[in-house]
Amino acid sequence: MIAKVHRLGRTLFGALRVPMARAFASAENPLNHIGALTVFFLWIVLVSGIWLLLFFRTSVSGAFESVEYLTREQWYLGGIMRSLHRYASDAAIVTIFLHMVKEFVFNRYRGPRWYSWVTGVPLVWIVFILGITGYWLVWDELAQYVAINSAELIDRIPIFTDSMAGNFLSDELLSDRFFTLMAFLHLIGLPIFIVFGIWMHIFRLTGPRINPPRRMMAGTLLAMLILSAVYPAASHEQANLAMAPEVLRLDWFYLHVYPLIRIWSPGWVWVLLVGVSSIIVIMPWAPRQKKEPPALVTLDYCNGCERCVDDCPFGAVEMVARTDGTNYSHQASVDPDLCVSCGICVGACPTATPFRSQGALLPGIDLPDRSAAKLRDDIIAAGAEKSSPHVIVFGCRDDAQLKAIEKAGHRVVQVNCMGQLPPSYIDFALSRGHADGVMLLGCQDGDCSYRFGAEWTEQRIARQRDPMLRGRVDVSRVALGWQAPWADNANAVQKFDAFVESLKP
Amino acid sequence: MKRVAEIAMYTAFAAFVGLLSVWPPYTNLDDDRAIISLVFSHAGKRVSECRQLTQEELNELPPNMRTMNDCPRERHPVRVELRSGTEILYEATLLPSGIWADGKASIYRRIEVPSGTHKLFVGMNDSGGADFDYEKSLTMDLAPRRNLLVQFDGQTSEFLIR
Repeated sequence: MIAKVHRLGRTLFGALRVPMARAFASAENPLNHIGALTVFFLWIVLVSGIWLLLFFRTSVSGAFESVEYLTREQWYLGGIMRSLHRYASDAAIVTIFLHMVKEFVFNRYRGPRWYSWVTGVPLVWIVFILGITGYWLVWDELAQYVAINSAELIDRIPIFTDSMAGNFLSDELLSDRFFTLMAFLHLIGLPIFIVFGIWMHIFRLTGPRINPPRRMMAGTLLAMLILSAVYPAASHEQANLAMAPEVLRLDWFYLHVYPLIRIWSPGWVWVLLVGVSSIIVIMPWAPRQKKEPPALVTLDYCNGCERCVDDCPFGAVEMVARTDGTNYSHQASVDPDLCVSCGICVGACPTATPFRSQGALLPGIDLPDRSAAKLRDDIIAAGAEKSSPHVIVFGCRDDAQLKAIEKAGHRVVQVNCMGQLPPSYIDFALSRGHADGVMLLGCQDGDCSYRFGAEWTEQRIARQRDPMLRGRVDVSRVALGWQAPWADNANAVQKFDAFVESLKP
Repeated sequence: MKRVAEIAMYTAFAAFVGLLSVWPPYTNLDDDRAIISLVFSHAGKRVSECRQLTQEELNELPPNMRTMNDCPRERHPVRVELRSGTEILYEATLLPSGIWADGKASIYRRIEVPSGTHKLFVGMNDSGGADFDYEKSLTMDLAPRRNLLVQFDGQTSEFLIR
């Protein structure tokens, strides 16, 4: 059932990928940097917010007047900053939503990845509260609406005796101190929680990317600046508690549940919010993902080189003191609770070489279910099917393109992740005559399911990262399906055909 | 061509963000409606009056607990009714807060009414009887969108309508 939902989601997400892939190179595709893009939007919010803070007055009349001053008198800077502050906050909600959907449909939230998924939930709550308190501070009619309805929600929590909403029904009941409190929450309290929340969210990831590529930052900032200039954010009329607001320009990104308070009731809105959040939290275990055997260290072949530690995207491998009495100071050790069985550590292991002639092919670190020895056997088997020129395709198990290739009659050597393939296997396939060319079909558009598989593979083949592809290998006979020029083809079969064509004399 | 597509994508994203941040407009209140907000916190009278303990009863108590009066904590629920003419806009019996039912009873209710003239009556009982202990009547002309506040002032023990 859940697999069907994932598949449907991937199809819908794939529809979004098509135009994105036409517009962006894979390294600069925003869909591959959604989390980092969210952090970038929060940076814009922070910087623009500091400017707004310089002019903001924390009093009932001062709040509205100071925001109006920024918007109208200082429109060229304060107005732009205010608009940037708002639109970047809205854009962050879009990217947060896409980030969650993507991680869900690509099944990147279960198993050891539950931690990042679950810690993301309170982070989303904090972002929403931050945005809502921001609207409160403007103290216009929208702020009045937000204040009363938020207070009605808070009143529903059965720990207060007096009604909080009662404070927003008469100007006489409202004090300047309230704005000081809200300003503290919005400007200091909640941002601290956000920073802490982001740290928690990425805590278990190795080399987390919190900054998108510069070109993408420039593009999104420019887009937000142009939007701010063309359609600057504006306040409603000043709040007047003796009169109820009539028609409001709601920010639907942040305030979409507010109309439900009237349609249902504050209690049912709580049921919705807490219910949805609870469902999201338990999703990694509903149903529980079948745990694959984690990577296994064979000390006889582990020389403590640390490459597996450097390359593991999830911090599942660490170096510990040697236990077998050999002269090496350290050995690799796998934490099975963190290991996602991607095999990137195998691709990094210098002892995972198919050229070994003596003894069994047993590298220092290996996957029990898809071993380095089996990978060599698969290459030899694929090489036996002769065609001219003969191309062996390596494909990630998570890649939907593989089936299309197999349907077209081509044999695919499957790996858990493209990063599992040591470059020596490419050398083996080409130099031992098993293939005339090798095509690697990583996850679609280079968006690796295991974060760094495509990237490490690119660097290994470009001889920029250990273990490097040997110099004798002609790289024109190696095609990375997610890179130009192959990525320009509409589907995997066309990529394959184009590559075969390029190999013909 | 790729550059044009890239610009188009950024433009579409910005347009989407700009659009949904203000559109579609939301009607919070129709232009021929007004609001009456009934809001107060009030502690009902105690269910039993304080009783002076007899000397025998005092002798039975530990020395540190010997107070002259025994005052049960429980309070009466607060019954409130708001009417416009003969139409009951709101009526409820509000329970005292606290696990010993000794705290204030609170109410906040937002009631939408047609704008125009209303002959308002608000009454409250806090002693468990059938009649209202406090009440107020007032004829008000409620302009469209007007937010009329009905409160109970615990100090003067009277309703405030403003």
